[in-house]
Amino acid sequence: MYTVFLYDGTFDGLLTCIDKILSTHVNEDEVVIAEKDRYQPMFFDSPVYVALDKNRSQELRQKVISASDKITFKKIYYCFLSEAQNKETYIYKYIKLILKHGKKVKYLYHNDVVNFVEKASKNVSREIGKYMGLMRFSEIKNGVLYAQFEPTNDILVPISYFFRERLKNFKWVIHDKKRSKLSIYDTKMIKFLNDINLNASFSDDENLYQKLWKLYFKTMAIEERKNLKLQRQNMPKKYWKYLTEKN
Amino acid sequence: MDILEKLQILGAAAKYDVSCASSGSKRETNYGIGSTFTAGICHSWTDDGRCISLLKVLFTNECLFDCAYCINRKSNDIKRATFTPYEVAELTMNFYKRNYIEGLFLSSAIKNSPDWTMEMLYKTVYLLRYKYQFNGYIHVKAIPYASLDLIRRTGFLADRMSVNIELPSEKSLKLLCPNKTKESILKPMEFITKVGEEERNFVSAGQSTQMIIGATDDSDRKIITLSQHLYKKFKLKRVYYSAYTPVNDDPRILKVEKPPLLREHRLYQADWLIRVYNFTADELFEKDENLDLEVDPKVMWALRHLDKFPVEVNKASYEELIRVPGIGIKSARRIIKNRVFHSLDFDDLKKIGVVLKRAKYFITCNGKTYERHLIDTVPEKVKLQLIEKKAAEQKVKQLSFFDSEVFTSVITGEI
Repeated sequence: MYTVFLYDGTFDGLLTCIDKILSTHVNEDEVVIAEKDRYQPMFFDSPVYVALDKNRSQELRQKVISASDKITFKKIYYCFLSEAQNKETYIYKYIKLILKHGKKVKYLYHNDVVNFVEKASKNVSREIGKYMGLMRFSEIKNGVLYAQFEPTNDILVPISYFFRERLKNFKWVIHDKKRSKLSIYDTKMIKFLNDINLNASFSDDENLYQKLWKLYFKTMAIEERKNLKLQRQNMPKKYWKYLTEKN
Repeated sequence: MDILEKLQILGAAAKYDVSCASSGSKRETNYGIGSTFTAGICHSWTDDGRCISLLKVLFTNECLFDCAYCINRKSNDIKRATFTPYEVAELTMNFYKRNYIEGLFLSSAIKNSPDWTMEMLYKTVYLLRYKYQFNGYIHVKAIPYASLDLIRRTGFLADRMSVNIELPSEKSLKLLCPNKTKESILKPMEFITKVGEEERNFVSAGQSTQMIIGATDDSDRKIITLSQHLYKKFKLKRVYYSAYTPVNDDPRILKVEKPPLLREHRLYQADWLIRVYNFTADELFEKDENLDLEVDPKVMWALRHLDKFPVEVNKASYEELIRVPGIGIKSARRIIKNRVFHSLDFDDLKKIGVVLKRAKYFITCNGKTYERHLIDTVPEKVKLQLIEKKAAEQKVKQLSFFDSEVFTSVITGEI
């Protein structure tokens, strides 16, 4: 029989939950962690909901970082952003490993838990890397830049921090259409919101620059070297929907 | 002429420039627009599979020079156009804020005079850095024969500068490039290296160059030896190789039906070996003049030195490991870190991400060979196995090495 722990779906909520589990005596193999809203109760389960406690999550965060390092902690966060099945349970086991072995865990590739976290976090950081280049902004009437995307993983937060550095003098909005989430930057700070209705039309310049970019994209291809397979390999079709040059 | 037409002409004229790197620069400011990213970022991929990371344009394609291989040469009857510094800056900023590009790659034909041209490049970059407060990546060409003072001033504003060496030998240069001399290329190159060593914030991402291959009869050995020299003497960050695409019908140029893409690919591999893997040009070639088109240069070297193999993964030094075909820098480092904890077998190698496709013919794990198959000591047989495997995997009838389907990785950038 499993002991089921539920959390609120946030990263801090998960850390709170894990901290709670670590302080109770349960058999590691019988722990299941799930998001409250997604959880489908099984007949014999008696799930326990652990509410978010910022102090507690902060405490565990510090503990993990001092046992390993910031890079290892970032891996945990990225794994959390992934869509991998049962990621919460793996993160719990991974944290247990860190608290036992320190940052050496990253060399334990043959361990399934380590392998899982490595793979999931790499998948997320790869997607972030792709979108750093493939996000396309359009200028709307009031000068705000607007971008939409449908990432596989929940990367709106890290990608927004990247564009805060990159476009720090511009107001912008990044819209995760798949999850109906938005980030809004007003040249000072980012706000994360759930879907709101956006009604805006392009600025006067926008059409010209989209045209210029499409033209440039076409112009740069060398006919004698044509290699569409290589293009798709580097820029898979799933990204094309929101790419100006591919529409 | 409107901006659309200018971009079309001057973009098309710049597409044969292969450098696309936007990496290796660190510029930290608290003001202005944009940033650079150490690893570089690709923003798109064209139909030929090459990445777009920078807005690559010529300032002008009106040229005083008449180089045989160049589409923009004086004697060609083509449409000509010239940007203004303001137009280039506006394009760059507007593309940048829409996240189309990582920055600007500005090259030029030589109009009016070398100094006039260099000054235009300088003005453009100045405008971007000071009026627009642009902090993104800028790669700008140094124009042969331009005053060193102009080159110097431009270098303080750019992330990277490059002078194209164009051809691998003086003889070829004389043949195809009557207006340029070896000196006109090496002098600014040497100058950029020197100032770069003395001054901070001068061309912080270093210097690169490019040469055309396949338009002359220069051998691979000559090309790689020259590159080795450029890396050592001028501390270049990269040498780019560009398979010659026939754009002009000129009797001085070797007849090429199609650009020699596989040869270009092999040269990049060899370049990587001398730049990152501590191989020397002499080691790679020994008696040959050209690289083997059937196998990559590391395999080629290994086949000639089968007496050094198999290498025992659990004991070999880093230097020995990186010379194993199929084991790169990353894999070698992982092997060394992991074997501290426990000895590695083939399954462990797979788990830590070592690709065994080629490596398995050259390594042992605790004395054991892969799947108990015997490691051949006859180079021809090993080679055959490697090639046949490849052919089977590619599912092509029979390998035609000039078929662009055979190889899909064209390495042009360092990102």
